[in-house]
Amino acid sequence: MAETRIFAAKKIITMERGQPEATHVAVRDGRILAVGGADCAAPWGDFTIDDRLSDAVLMPGLVEGHAHMMAGAMWRYVYVGFHDRIDPDGKPWAGVSTTDAMVDRLAGERARLAPGVPVFGWGFDPIFLASERLNRIHLDQVATDRPVAVMFSNFHLMCVNSAALKMAGYTAETPLDGVVKGPDGEPTGELQEMAAMFPVLRRMGIDFRTLSQSAESIAAYGQVAVRAGVTTITDLYSMMEDDDVEQMLRQTGAEDYPVRIVPALGAAGDPARVADRALRLRARSTDKLRLGAVKLMTDGSIQGWTARVRWPGYVGGQPNGLWNTAPDEIFALAEEMQRRGVQMHIHVNGDEAAEVSLDALDAAARKHPWLGARHVLQHCQMMDRALFRRAAELGVACNLFANHLWYFGDQHAARTIGPDRACRMNAVRTALDEGVLTAIHSDAPVTPLGPLVTAWCAVNRQAMSGVTLGPQERISRAQALELITLGAASTLKLDHEIGSIAPGKRADFAVLGADPLENGLALKDVPVFGTVFGGRVNRV
Amino acid sequence: MSRLPLTVVGGYLGSGKTTLINRLLAVDHGLRLAVLVNDFGAINIDAALLKSAREDTIELTNGCVCCSMAGNLYYAIGDMLDRSPRPDHLIVEASGIADPAKIAELALSEPEMAYAGILTVIDGINYPVQLANPRISSQLRGQASAADLLVVSKTPPDDPAVTAALGDCGSDPRVGADDAATVAGLVLGRTLTREAPAESRAKHPGYVQWSSTSPPELTRTEIEALLSRLPSGVLRLKALIADPSGGMWEVHVVGEQREITQRVKSGCAAVAAIGLEGAEMVDAIEDWWNSTV
Repeated sequence: MAETRIFAAKKIITMERGQPEATHVAVRDGRILAVGGADCAAPWGDFTIDDRLSDAVLMPGLVEGHAHMMAGAMWRYVYVGFHDRIDPDGKPWAGVSTTDAMVDRLAGERARLAPGVPVFGWGFDPIFLASERLNRIHLDQVATDRPVAVMFSNFHLMCVNSAALKMAGYTAETPLDGVVKGPDGEPTGELQEMAAMFPVLRRMGIDFRTLSQSAESIAAYGQVAVRAGVTTITDLYSMMEDDDVEQMLRQTGAEDYPVRIVPALGAAGDPARVADRALRLRARSTDKLRLGAVKLMTDGSIQGWTARVRWPGYVGGQPNGLWNTAPDEIFALAEEMQRRGVQMHIHVNGDEAAEVSLDALDAAARKHPWLGARHVLQHCQMMDRALFRRAAELGVACNLFANHLWYFGDQHAARTIGPDRACRMNAVRTALDEGVLTAIHSDAPVTPLGPLVTAWCAVNRQAMSGVTLGPQERISRAQALELITLGAASTLKLDHEIGSIAPGKRADFAVLGADPLENGLALKDVPVFGTVFGGRVNRV
Repeated sequence: MSRLPLTVVGGYLGSGKTTLINRLLAVDHGLRLAVLVNDFGAINIDAALLKSAREDTIELTNGCVCCSMAGNLYYAIGDMLDRSPRPDHLIVEASGIADPAKIAELALSEPEMAYAGILTVIDGINYPVQLANPRISSQLRGQASAADLLVVSKTPPDDPAVTAALGDCGSDPRVGADDAATVAGLVLGRTLTREAPAESRAKHPGYVQWSSTSPPELTRTEIEALLSRLPSGVLRLKALIADPSGGMWEVHVVGEQREITQRVKSGCAAVAAIGLEGAEMVDAIEDWWNSTV
């Protein structure tokens, strides 16, 4: 008979109403056999007690419903962002708050690399640095004999040194405005948007495609997940070529691979072909690689003024944003996915994009009824009560970008949509009140992976300046914890398998150093010791 | 290695971008074209021309290749640059709502590429209705105003309703979508060469070529002034002009895009232009040129 192992913990938060708390959980065959006290598995025969987690508080394994595989792979390069972060190996990286500190860190990286190897930093955000705008002169202090580049956290801009400019042949004559020129007419080193960045990236050998799919990135993704207490994680907008699928099946199939990945295939082009591919992929799913959903991009981002917003638009008078998928295509894709039984994750930042997507889902639902479709609107940052009500009516789930409140809230109030609409951004409370199936997310690597941090953002709605954006939209700790477990699991249609600690579910736990329900410690500061995945302990 | 010319085909859903690309692949242009498309399934290759077909690439017996750009467009273009042998010309089909100018920008930054124009396909019947939709009108206007050549499908290119709808965006040369030979002649590489024959007025259906040897020596400022007066309807111009203070200027014009670069090498000074056919076209170019000489 299979072995029964009972984990003893300081406390177990189950997310089950019938038995919200426990001290022991019994595991057999990677699943939860029983939960309760030390005797919970008494009816089930012999067992062994495992004390390795007796110093910890257990929660259901956290679920990140919106992240990207690149979150792990970026650590191949040196981090120069403003916020403190921890890399997949557990090394803490202090945030960089001055240009000099950044130059020092990049110089350290140069010294670590073989001669001539390009230096590439990532995560930089100029809005946090009061000093002179980063330019090639700063980066020339790092190296003059090899290219040096710093990618901004939004992935739309980078700054490079003189050697990199030279390598790409950029001069005062380069006609593209994205190759920014200074008052002297010479390139400053700042490169805006992909057309300007790509010639440098190409020559530096930096390929975003392999960052999203290589063996190294899949491994790193597992590591960052463990450190965040995450046992199920999405990869929303995956290309999923045949080779990629083989690679992922192989790697996630290894017994010690510590996380379940739920990729969503990028949906572009002919809807019938997208559905064909999704259904073919679904047939290849395993426990640890759940295939079959698709991701649809609709608009851009609010902080980049590319989200599609309804009247009165952006406060600076910027033109309305852009569609990455035309409304007609959104309708066509929605109809075909609904007809074929393919779940969709739909990126909607602006409220016009949310409205058009709900219109499309409504039209599709009339033609091809499917009560369990559970399509998911992703980000939902500007949705108001009426839009959430429509989502609830249509059975459409909403995964809100709570981290934005902290990381970009001040910018939204001052520069994008103004304080009034910023106060109702990511209106988690309203979504819950309207009965929407709700989750919250990080969009890592856009903001750092860490569902407890995301929960903290939703509980406090505090922006970096300290201001609270829309206090009435705050939620309780208990609600927030549900959103990063059962809530996110529900958006992935996995709530029957994961998201709470109950007999029959997967033995996936977050291993914490403190009780997240206790008010003394901020949720974001609750230590994460690691995870249990399928009964296997991964302690960091 | 020679620079890879990039032409972007824009236009809203259903306007006929893929049809145009299918026709361009079929025209006998003698080039090894590479084509990047969104929807691979809609590419229609004559079985006799088909050399091989894989999940994401179709190779033709005439050396052309057609690839799906699923994934990152820029890296897909990078793959084309790395392809050996490098194609003679790259055509990228923008998705229905995309801004073709954004894609074409890569030809302005990437030293191994050359800008070879934006074609925007306009659905002659539906364009006025599409433009009336406030959710998409600004992006559609953007596509038309980015164009160097407007390709009108389903109606004659000078259809009054299309002209009215295009408004300010309609001043670029226009051609019918079924006239792929003209589009190819105007846009693709071979027909316009620096080594043009002496004073020619070669005539092809749909477009005219004009060239002249022994242009005068000109400074950069003089060239810029000259180009600012270039007659409308001239889609492309290529010139090698001697600089009075030594060296040569290499001049490329595609639509609104001008590139003037200094060349230390010497060469045979010459100028060649190509434009849409019209009664006055060649005379207009001639007058323009003589205004300098």
